[in-house]
Amino acid sequence: MKKTWLIARTTYRERLRSGMFLILTFGIPLLMIGAGVIGFLAASPDDGELPETIGYVDETGELAPTERVTLSEELLDLDAELTFTSYPTREAAEAAYLNGEIGGYLVIPAGYFSGAAVTYFTDAEAGAVVEEGLKQFLQRSLLPDRPEWVFARLEDPANYTYVGQASGEALSEGPGLIIRIAAPAFLAMVFVLAVLFGTSQMGTAIIQEKEQRAMEMVITSIRPLELVAGKVMGLTLLSLTQFAIWTVGGIVALFLAFSDQLSLEELVVPWEALIWGALLIIPGYFLYAILAAGLGIIAGDSQQAQQLAGIMSFLGLAPIYILAAILGNPDGPLSVGLSLFPLTSPSVILLRTTFAGVPTWQMVAALAILLATLALAVLLVTRIFRAAMLNYGKALRPREIWRAIVQA
Amino acid sequence: MNTSDKTILQVQDISKTYATVRAVDDLSFEVYAGEIFGLLGPNGAGKTTTIRMALDIIKPDAGQIAVLGGPMTEAKKERIGYLPEERGLYDDMTLTDTLLFLGQLKGLSRTEAQRRVEGQLKEVELWEARERKVEALSRGMRQKAQFVAATMHDPDLIIVDEPFSGLDPVNTRLIKDLIYRMRDRGAGVIMSTHQMHQVEEMCGRILLVNHGKRVLYGPLAEIRQRFSANVVEVGLRGEPVTVPGVEQITAVENGSYRLLLEEGVPPEEVLQALVHAPELVVERFEHVETSLDEIFIRVVGRSIEEEGSLEEDQAVPAGGVRI
Repeated sequence: MKKTWLIARTTYRERLRSGMFLILTFGIPLLMIGAGVIGFLAASPDDGELPETIGYVDETGELAPTERVTLSEELLDLDAELTFTSYPTREAAEAAYLNGEIGGYLVIPAGYFSGAAVTYFTDAEAGAVVEEGLKQFLQRSLLPDRPEWVFARLEDPANYTYVGQASGEALSEGPGLIIRIAAPAFLAMVFVLAVLFGTSQMGTAIIQEKEQRAMEMVITSIRPLELVAGKVMGLTLLSLTQFAIWTVGGIVALFLAFSDQLSLEELVVPWEALIWGALLIIPGYFLYAILAAGLGIIAGDSQQAQQLAGIMSFLGLAPIYILAAILGNPDGPLSVGLSLFPLTSPSVILLRTTFAGVPTWQMVAALAILLATLALAVLLVTRIFRAAMLNYGKALRPREIWRAIVQA
Repeated sequence: MNTSDKTILQVQDISKTYATVRAVDDLSFEVYAGEIFGLLGPNGAGKTTTIRMALDIIKPDAGQIAVLGGPMTEAKKERIGYLPEERGLYDDMTLTDTLLFLGQLKGLSRTEAQRRVEGQLKEVELWEARERKVEALSRGMRQKAQFVAATMHDPDLIIVDEPFSGLDPVNTRLIKDLIYRMRDRGAGVIMSTHQMHQVEEMCGRILLVNHGKRVLYGPLAEIRQRFSANVVEVGLRGEPVTVPGVEQITAVENGSYRLLLEEGVPPEEVLQALVHAPELVVERFEHVETSLDEIFIRVVGRSIEEEGSLEEDQAVPAGGVRI
């Protein structure tokens, strides 16, 4: 155990010092934030130029016969008012526009109530501010003489409280509910990302040991299992460090974003789901790590190890690819099957708990299958390891793998 | 297995087959404390497989191995040092960190490992390079660093595979002195090398393997004496073409020839034949000690010839008759 811990410490320290760790840990979130900001900037429309007066032509004849409507600064959340002036015909509105009396004019066609499009004529830039103004105007024209609270409710019709029928647990909407749903989903994502990075790093760590020819010296001091266990522990600690940094960063970002809405009393931590998640994630991660170590030792070089790790990562990511199918029918045969399959059970069960309950027997069975598979993987990988560790520059052929398994 | 107090490695009747290739075939030998033991053989003879079996890296298909008085245990691994033929250290780590790590794997405490790393790096003149990454070291420096890694824990049994490859004469002398020092403090050293002059200089006993089989085994002096019994060197005026009782004539230098006598032929008989040869004048006739290089070539060459003739014997065409 002492030597296993030495391997773990050394692996952790050396990887932590490497530039790749810094790139992965800080580069990826920065890249994601950057992509988000670019996406937001690209998607958010220009606020546009708000004119003082907009003309309108009501061709339906059904809207409230108001000659002028003024939207207050408060309503628009701007430093300016917006006045709408009625014109009997398009031509009249057009003439007013050309005279510079109005900044644009709105034509509400006769087929408006059956879905015909409203047209806004202007040469100025029409952005979100103008659109918001048009919306407010139309709402007030459709429902004249109503108090302002009616429109406030139209904007945001209700605050919901969700109550579990069986548990009686009440959840208010807002950040509390988001955390209730997001926590297991976040754990599932952590698992998937851990698999993605962990398997790749594990395979590389083992193949490097082989490529740098250090293996032959090391294994005269320790058992192959101790070497693999040390590498797995070291890289697990590294992944935990990475995710601790990301989690702390995420929580800080969450509190900053919802600081005015979030109180600790509102936080509903789904302990049962999280405990089951942890019980499945830990052996699940180790299973991937052991299998990645096995593939690393079978591979002939780093490139081959990366390719094999890619196949493993695909299995880890599979639940994300078919997320819609799982969440669409969380108790269907596909969801239950993947909940019991050891390589997908941690993420699928966590994803299912976000929207539906998972029967206890399924979680117990998943854990039992996972632990049995992990034990089997340790046994097989150790046997293969002995046969392949000194096979420099060559991948182990299937027949050799089989011989290693049965002869050891 | 009975092992004497002096025996630190006893290998008995071990065999190992890879697919259809018999890498080691019923091999037995012993290595004693306080000796340098030469493990010799041509490429692919089974030396590395034998070493790996002795170190418990791979298991023999048959036979027994007793290391330091019995079967290999995890504790015994800390009393063994190994410099493999496939050299390798951690490229991304500094020299000091690499040696500290490998020293601790051999059971040294961190403090003790630090003390020994400092002492040994100074001894092999690598102290100045201690903070350099391994990948930045020259081949010779890496070789010395790996030697330190293999020996810094003062092992009782040390196996060094081609310890002088890549070293200049000064560093060869340095490593040689360290090996002598280990032997003198009572460690058993197994040295596998193709540099026969180093074996002649350093080894007390040798094992020569070919095709996984033991071909020669025992004290080097006895083996050389045995092979020297039928070799004479003569100084002649005239050129000998054939001499009765002589299997092979090799010109050594101008007027000097080395004669390999046929088995059972006494040197006196050959001397008489030379003296009576009308076209030759014998100026010098002396016994010479055969070099290990010659012994190696003779034994391994004969073995290859035997194998060739065996293959020819076996190659009977379909429907043919061997007479």
